[in-house]
Amino acid sequence: MKTLFDFPGGVHPPQHKQQSNPGKLMDLPLPQRLLIPLSQHIGAPAKPLVKVGDQVYKGQLIALATGAISANVHATSSGLVSAIASFPVAHASGLDAMCIELETDGQDTWHPDITTANPGQLDEQEIRQRVLAAGIVGMGGAGFPSAAKLATDTPIHTLLVNGVECEPYITADDTVMQIYSHEIILGTKLALGLLKQSTCKLVIEDNKPQAIAAMLQASAGHDDIEVIVIPTKYPSGGEKQLIQNVTGQQVPRGKIPANLGILCQNVATMKAIYDAVYLGQPSIERIITVTGDGVKQAGNYRLRIGTCADYVLQQCQAEQPNSQVIIGGPMMGFQLPNTHVPLIKTSNCLLVPSAKALSDASPAMACIRCGQCEIACPAQLLPQQLYWLAKSDAFDKIEQYNLMDCIECGACAYVCPSQIPLVQHYRYAKGMLRQKATEARQAELSKQRFEAREQRLLDEVTAKEERRKTRAAAAAAAQAAKRASNTEQADPVKAAQARLAAKQKTPAHDTAHQATLANNSATNEVSHKDLKTAAAIARTKFKKANKAYEDAKAADHEDTDKLQTMVHDLQQRSEQTAQALAEFESQVQVDPEAEKQAQITWAKANAQVRKLNKSAPDSSTPDDEKAAHKEALQVAQKNLEQAQAKLDHIKNSSKEAQS
Amino acid sequence: MDIIIFAIVSLTLMALLFGGILGYAAKRLKVEGDPIVDQINALLPQTQCGQCGHPGCRPYAEAIAQQADPINLCPPGGETTIKALADLLDVEVLSLDAEAGVDSVPKIAYIREDECIGCTKCIQACPVDAILGAAKLMHTVIVNECTGCDLCVEPCPVDCIDMLPIPITSQTWHWQKPQQLIATDRQLEQEIVGDPSL
Repeated sequence: MKTLFDFPGGVHPPQHKQQSNPGKLMDLPLPQRLLIPLSQHIGAPAKPLVKVGDQVYKGQLIALATGAISANVHATSSGLVSAIASFPVAHASGLDAMCIELETDGQDTWHPDITTANPGQLDEQEIRQRVLAAGIVGMGGAGFPSAAKLATDTPIHTLLVNGVECEPYITADDTVMQIYSHEIILGTKLALGLLKQSTCKLVIEDNKPQAIAAMLQASAGHDDIEVIVIPTKYPSGGEKQLIQNVTGQQVPRGKIPANLGILCQNVATMKAIYDAVYLGQPSIERIITVTGDGVKQAGNYRLRIGTCADYVLQQCQAEQPNSQVIIGGPMMGFQLPNTHVPLIKTSNCLLVPSAKALSDASPAMACIRCGQCEIACPAQLLPQQLYWLAKSDAFDKIEQYNLMDCIECGACAYVCPSQIPLVQHYRYAKGMLRQKATEARQAELSKQRFEAREQRLLDEVTAKEERRKTRAAAAAAAQAAKRASNTEQADPVKAAQARLAAKQKTPAHDTAHQATLANNSATNEVSHKDLKTAAAIARTKFKKANKAYEDAKAADHEDTDKLQTMVHDLQQRSEQTAQALAEFESQVQVDPEAEKQAQITWAKANAQVRKLNKSAPDSSTPDDEKAAHKEALQVAQKNLEQAQAKLDHIKNSSKEAQS
Repeated sequence: MDIIIFAIVSLTLMALLFGGILGYAAKRLKVEGDPIVDQINALLPQTQCGQCGHPGCRPYAEAIAQQADPINLCPPGGETTIKALADLLDVEVLSLDAEAGVDSVPKIAYIREDECIGCTKCIQACPVDAILGAAKLMHTVIVNECTGCDLCVEPCPVDCIDMLPIPITSQTWHWQKPQQLIATDRQLEQEIVGDPSL
């Protein structure tokens, strides 16, 4: 026998194990209704594969695992799917979860695909596939999918098979070991085959002599399976405590046993692996201890997964079927808020205390800092300090006191002389810490998204501004180019100045008379026109001002004097311009009337010629008419020539006079 | 006389030496930015709801750091945030400013999708880009990223956005604080409720 190590703390509560007759397995009649939750494990819930009204058979896959950490769910008897909906489940919150409800037909017919196999003929992959397909989860209570646990990448040197069952009252594993010892050994051999290079230690508490005997007998001849008996102490069945007890190693904080090369599995899980590989049967039933002073037919029952707790209580003749029932053991279990809930793959015990035991529970008293809890704590924490911090919601501090390493075993509350529900305080604080962590994660995510959005909006504005600037620059450049090309062509002011200069020079240049003639005539015409316009404007202004002055005078306005001088000025200006015009006209000897007359005569003659040209005779016209037309045309042309000559003469004479 | 001169000279030299060290340290170990703003911002819930009157949590943190605003303007953070801020800044704990809003249960926006007309107004309003959709197409809220800030409700022209409390699932549920009554509490309770025997 190897040396055993110990673990700190621990308590020795009364065992009450004989109450449920360990080693005697009983069956209950198949219930008419089975309620199979889709999530009986840690990880993602399975996805239903059946519809309401479908006929299903025992062992048929009805919900498929989703993701790496999940487990298949199977029909646990034959019948019809009557509902796929939310029902209350065995959870301390009393919340609903998705379940598949079966109306059993009583035939309990196996699905035809369920076939036995000889593992000797199966390769490793097929064995893994069978374990995975069977939907096996850790049956000790945690419910971690076994296929995922056995598929670990880290090398495992020790497989610990947990048959400790340290909680009082519960004898389900004891019964499994007594009845299915060979199946457990065969299942363990399969698990060892999957893990390779690994030996097994099967650990049992010394309060189960029959189970120890059965397992020693079954494991005889298997060198790689060692049965280890440990002293009875609660909570030696806890994973971390078990490892410390057997190997002397502590699982570091935040690590899992696999990091130490150790893997823990429950004995009932080993039996389930045997069922899956040898018999092809998925995880559809388990052994549950129904015990307590409140139940007459206490014992271990083989129950289909999905059997409701109230049906079991009724069959076992509980004192008050709807009374308070604890699921799990007295130390770590919780009271069911509602007994009409299904028992699942991880449920190992229904504890029905007597009405008297419940009424005896006295209220908590003040903490006296006795330190009993600190001695009992198997995780070497400071329970009273954690209690004070949890009570005052000092969550930052309680984390520093390593609350998260608490395994919620309840040893501290068991020894507490003040009967303080310590574990409830720790559960509350743990929940708050998890909630805070989630909130912090969410806040960080929101912050990132908010900042990303702000940055995006800022970038958009900058890009817009940038585009606007480039557009403005392009427009300015285009305008500048246009202006540059314009200056070379014509500046109206400069052109006017040039013209003026030319005009002043012309009289002196007699030699350039011919060349400047046309230019001069144009200038003169402009001057003549300008004079005319100026005279007209002055006249109009004078008339307007005069009228305004008369109106003002009529209305007895004050400022009439001012107006009068203005009118006077305008009159003078009007006279001046009129005089200037007359002078200019006399100077250039323009007789506007004669010129006009000559122009009219020329226009008339021109019109006559064009008219005659238009009505030119064609071949059909008689000869005499042709002759007449020809004569008329000749006359008209003669007239036009005369008119042209006269007009030219007048124009030339006026030009010569001007120059 | 000598000793006085010696004292003055040595003290002056020491003052110069330490002054030099301090000056160098101030330059060499200069802290960039304003770390107090970051610390305050870390305590705010980052819902970016604007109920404090600032366009987001960081601007409010800056206002607190400059002592321009009191610490009690954040309804989503509630009493816990006020307490944490008071601890950090060593000021008195104030009760939540009623004008800013009320401390309510965390909520999440849901769009009644068959009523959505696809106007994109809520998308523009969302401070954390948690609404998905396009013009004239149905919009929906990315539930995991919604902070429940309420800012999308008001711009919706057809009022198809509901603020619903986050449902408690078996994943988010946790144990409540145990009601603990000790003897004196029981006496107090009787005084308040009144002794039925009287």
